[in-house]
Amino acid sequence: MAMSEFARRSASYSQLLGAMSEAIARGDEAAFDAAAWILEGELDSPIRSGVRRVAGELQAALDQFGKSSRLVDLAERDVPDARERLAHVLKLTDEAAHRTLDLVEQSQPLADGLARRSEELLNQANRHCSPEGLVDFLKTTATTANDIRARLDEVLMTQGYQDITGQIIRGVMKLVVELEGALADLIQIGGLRPLAGAASAPNGAILHGPIVPGVQHIGPIAAQTEVDALLSGLGM
Amino acid sequence: MDARKDLNFLVVDDFSTMRRIVKNLLHDLGYANVTEADDGNTALPLLKAGSFDFLITDWNMPGMAGLDLLKQVRADERLKKLPVLMLTAEASREQIVAAAQAGVSGYVIKPFTAAVLKEKVEKILAAQPAKAG
Repeated sequence: MAMSEFARRSASYSQLLGAMSEAIARGDEAAFDAAAWILEGELDSPIRSGVRRVAGELQAALDQFGKSSRLVDLAERDVPDARERLAHVLKLTDEAAHRTLDLVEQSQPLADGLARRSEELLNQANRHCSPEGLVDFLKTTATTANDIRARLDEVLMTQGYQDITGQIIRGVMKLVVELEGALADLIQIGGLRPLAGAASAPNGAILHGPIVPGVQHIGPIAAQTEVDALLSGLGM
Repeated sequence: MDARKDLNFLVVDDFSTMRRIVKNLLHDLGYANVTEADDGNTALPLLKAGSFDFLITDWNMPGMAGLDLLKQVRADERLKKLPVLMLTAEASREQIVAAAQAGVSGYVIKPFTAAVLKEKVEKILAAQPAKAG
């Protein structure tokens, strides 16, 4: 069946091409156009009409896509908003951490001074056979002041969260900027107006950043002991 | 040990809170001379111009990253023996190996404790010859 169809088409095309070739040799435009017209008709096969249909559907889909205002909202407003919100979180946590560090730095010498003065008075009280209650009070004050100092040191260390969360937020912000750029490209392809000032995708080396539970990392090491073991294995 | 309390430290991190925390910890350890920089690009001229005895650097920073700073330090004739402690949240095996190959003196991952920082700084200093002059 396929062979007979092929035989028919090849015979027909061969005849038409022959006629077109002769028309060219003669300079006979009318004869050339007539043969070409028939050939075009022959070529209008089911495949050609199929391709035309798919192209039409694709155009309709693109038209529909172009009318999607949600996508424009995302690219023009929501995604840049998300970026601004994250930047604001970064600023607030930075300010709060610095304020906490201010207070810790102000309180540390107060606790140190209290501990030092209590110990000095305790030495004097012991030498002068002071009342029992006063000696106990001074001992407790010195110990408490040292405990407060130790807790202040912990508060200081805990502010390191701002660096860790800040790095994670910056990573997400970078992703949001990339998303913004991709959306702008998509909207342009879809036939909508190009976005003014749309962010472009950042480049540079990819770093893993802090470990985030539930997020895949390539071969992360969670504990300092493992870092030490690895470096020791490398002869350090 | 007291002879070393006049050492000059340079702390490089893009987060000012972290620089402040490290500076405080170093003060508690008795090291009062601490300078700050926010990335490798600002740190390198300071290192080249100054007389620093110890570098503590983050890895992931805009501008010049910590690993590149380490490589630049090791490539500089005058700075190549400077102790460099990497203090970073980058914790993959490949990264630690890369830092070791680039000549890092110690590696501490964030979040860290005051005790770990103290231990690493003192261990690195113990392996160094005493400060000249």
